[in-house]
Amino acid sequence: MNVLLDAVGITKSFSGIRALDDVTLRVVEGERVGLIGPNGAGKTTLFNCILGTLRPDSGSVILNGVDLGSLPVHRRARMGMGRTFQRIELFSDTSVAEHLLIAERVRQGNGALWKDLLGRGRPTSDEIRRCAEVLDLLGLTDLAEEPIETLSLGQGRLVEVGRALVTGPRLLLLDEPSSGLDRAETDALAATLAEIQREKGFAVLLVEHDVELVAAFTDRTYVLDFGRLIANGPTKEMMADADVRRAYLGDLEVGR
Amino acid sequence: MLLAASTGEDLLRAVLQGAPPGSVYALIALGFVLTYKTSGVFNLAFGAQAYVSAAMYFQARNEWEWQVVPALILAVFILAPLIGLVLERLIFRHLSNSSAVAKLVIAIGLTVALPSLFELVTGFSAVAGRTPTGIIPGGSSVFYDPFGIYPLSRDELAQMAVALFGMAALGALFRFSSLGLALRAVVESPRMTELSGINADRVSAFAWALSSLFAGMAGVLIAPRFNTLMAPDFFHLVIVAIAAAAIGRLASLPRALLGGLGLGIFIALFNTFLPRWTADHGWLRPFQENLTPSMPFVILFGVLVCWPAIRREHRVVDPLSGVDPPPPGLAALTRNRRLTLITRVFSVSLLCVIGVTVLLRADVRWLFLVTQAVILAIIYLSITVVTGFAGQISLCQGAFAAVGAFTVFQLADRYDLSVLAAALVGAALAAVVGAVLSLPVLRLGGVWLAIATLAFAFFFDAVMVKFSWIGGGGTSLFQGTRVPRPTIGPWDFADDRLFLVLAVVAFTVVSFLVIQLREGTTGRMLHALRGSEMAAESIGISPVRARVTAFAVSAAIAGFGGALLAIHQENVNYQNNFSPTAALFWLVLVVSLSARTIEGAAYSGAAFSLFDSLVLRGEVFRWIFRGWVPGILPISPKWRFVLFGLASIQFSRHPEGLVEYGKRRATRRFNERFDRRERDRASQETSP
Ligand SMILES: Nc1ncnc2c1ncn2[C@@H]1O[C@H](COP(=O)(O)OP(=O)(O)O)[C@@H](O)[C@H]1O
Ligand SMILES: [Mg+2]
Repeated sequence: MNVLLDAVGITKSFSGIRALDDVTLRVVEGERVGLIGPNGAGKTTLFNCILGTLRPDSGSVILNGVDLGSLPVHRRARMGMGRTFQRIELFSDTSVAEHLLIAERVRQGNGALWKDLLGRGRPTSDEIRRCAEVLDLLGLTDLAEEPIETLSLGQGRLVEVGRALVTGPRLLLLDEPSSGLDRAETDALAATLAEIQREKGFAVLLVEHDVELVAAFTDRTYVLDFGRLIANGPTKEMMADADVRRAYLGDLEVGR
Repeated sequence: MLLAASTGEDLLRAVLQGAPPGSVYALIALGFVLTYKTSGVFNLAFGAQAYVSAAMYFQARNEWEWQVVPALILAVFILAPLIGLVLERLIFRHLSNSSAVAKLVIAIGLTVALPSLFELVTGFSAVAGRTPTGIIPGGSSVFYDPFGIYPLSRDELAQMAVALFGMAALGALFRFSSLGLALRAVVESPRMTELSGINADRVSAFAWALSSLFAGMAGVLIAPRFNTLMAPDFFHLVIVAIAAAAIGRLASLPRALLGGLGLGIFIALFNTFLPRWTADHGWLRPFQENLTPSMPFVILFGVLVCWPAIRREHRVVDPLSGVDPPPPGLAALTRNRRLTLITRVFSVSLLCVIGVTVLLRADVRWLFLVTQAVILAIIYLSITVVTGFAGQISLCQGAFAAVGAFTVFQLADRYDLSVLAAALVGAALAAVVGAVLSLPVLRLGGVWLAIATLAFAFFFDAVMVKFSWIGGGGTSLFQGTRVPRPTIGPWDFADDRLFLVLAVVAFTVVSFLVIQLREGTTGRMLHALRGSEMAAESIGISPVRARVTAFAVSAAIAGFGGALLAIHQENVNYQNNFSPTAALFWLVLVVSLSARTIEGAAYSGAAFSLFDSLVLRGEVFRWIFRGWVPGILPISPKWRFVLFGLASIQFSRHPEGLVEYGKRRATRRFNERFDRRERDRASQETSP
């Protein structure tokens, strides 16, 4: 099997606080991997290090055998990494369709200024068709022309996923997709994600608080606690592991 | 041996020479850090406040013939803190949730408004050649020379003494008074204070009063250095203070203090040693002559671009810390088709009527003003691109416009090139300048980016314009920077009416291009970046590339507009048209009206050029009421600065600008009424 992502020995501190301590993580092509851990464990920070939003103090990120070094975020994105955000990040004052259209345009990489000035910068019918397909997959077709401000949180999450999908990622990093959603919305999202993943075959790295979602969606899981990996293995075993339950469920009790 | 001794002497002399202004810079820098840390406001308006206090003091001393002490009490200890308190209570207190950039825009608006407001209220006006007096008798005529190296004037001694006293007082306050302790706690760790229940309101008001007092004091102290009291000189003062504060990343009082002193001494050193080097290297001389007065801006730019600590670094914010809130979302709005059609038809016909009336009826003056409005609207479209689309505050659009204007002047003067071709060359040159400038500046982001562009604008003003291959040098002093009008085939644009048509055509073409840009890839990328930079990057958009493009396009538009303005006036008229302070007012104007739309640029052009004649002098009433003008009119054109400067205050709540806000509100009202009528009709049809 083909290794897609190798994050090796990632360490990151924020003014003395060690948010990540020598974390090593691997994702294989087409695999569905979970990453769990209590609040503040460093999951989002790890995402940011993998995607280049943050520069790790040490350690390296290797995608498809290429060391990403200090490549900026947008270059990494174009190499096949898509993501969603824990605190939803959408482009304000824009329609749903426009979110996907701009992603599609960037994927094709033709945005020369002179084309804009000659009036050739608007979405082409081909782009519109491709985006419509993705909208259809996510069941967002009816909302295509809606301004982003009118959507519910769950719909916004789907738009984020769609925007990432349009870029044709080989690895999709999802940061707590269920946060802020109710049970039914979460289940619907999980079903949609599973279906699309099966169809497209990309790999997923899923950060999640919702244990059920992780159990249902992932095959393998890493457990992070206070910036250190404390366990990893098949998801089922992880859920049963005593250490994991202590670190994780202890937090849940505090949280609830 | 001899050489070493004289170098040592030079060093000491520079220290003695630089310490007095340095201590004044330090005073303002302290105020800067205080207000920034307590209320998050990057208060550019300290320059204006320093001017107001200096002018008040001057007025009291020279016009009213008061004694030093009462004049000082009025100007520094009453007026200055009062202004600070009023600004804090009425404006900045209500903006604690606004972004830093919004607060900066408001501070710029105040910079424009305050001096004019003061002059209108007190009737003060600068008299050329009446040098302001200091706070000590014989301040500039009695000297002391303790080391036999550099004679310190009484004024200079007073500057150091007062500044020292001020700092000592601040230190004592921090140590011994409870409010001072609270203030220090806030400055050192704003997050701690949120948790420990310090009364932030009181602290912030206190900080504003105190720092405004410092600014006022600094203004009065520094005034004797200027020949004539004028607001822009005091703006320079604030620039150095910003550089000083930037050295401590706006976070540390001691560093700001040392930064101020250090910069004063550095400037003096520079002024001492640069002439030596240039004596050996003749080609350096023009630089030396021009660089000396502009050291503050060079330093500020250097500090911003080279000081590693200031770089954009807060892109990923700690999820637990307070963050800059996102800009307020614009209410989603679907416009009614019929309404859109009606307003389009109406506004096009109105424009046609105005156009025809102007072409047929207007006299020379009105033709001039209307043409100027159209050309300024072109320049303002450059602000639409960089501020409206890309969300960056650029304060050097005047420099870009001047690049275009000077290019036309040079090419027409030296090579007899057609001015329209030269205007295009000017636009291209401006684009290059914009792109090159944007690379170091864009790394800064947000407020620092605005400040760096401001420093560049002043640098261009003080250094570049003086070169003969840009501003014409000495010859321009005698002959002016003359620019001819073009002729194309049978049309001779020396005719003012024809030139107006040309300007309108140019505006239409540029507007068209700007709309293409907005609807095209670049515009949509910029829109995405403005919505969420993180998300935009995550789908592969390069923020740097998109923004450099925006800067270059914006500079090109400004350059083209500047060129047209020069052609229209048949002269570059640099001081009147393109000076950095003029460009500050441009930004304030466009941002208050609407930086996001073509209409906004058009309205701003009209406001700049026509508001004075139409409203302030009451011409519009004269036309409508056949000669009757309200009794209070005409009023001073300075009201323009006051009104639009203060109008920028609404930027924090309506970043889309007054025009756009009004339009959206009107549309919403219309939609509601329309919907109600539809509903009524529907219910009537179903009821019988
Ligand atoms: N930009 C930042 N600056 C300072 N501290 C940060 C920053 N980002 C995260 N942290 C800290 O790092 C730790 C891990 O945070 P995070 O990665 O968001 O955890 P998780 O996503 O697992 O809940 C927390 O203690 C958080 O306060
Ligand atoms: Mg997180």
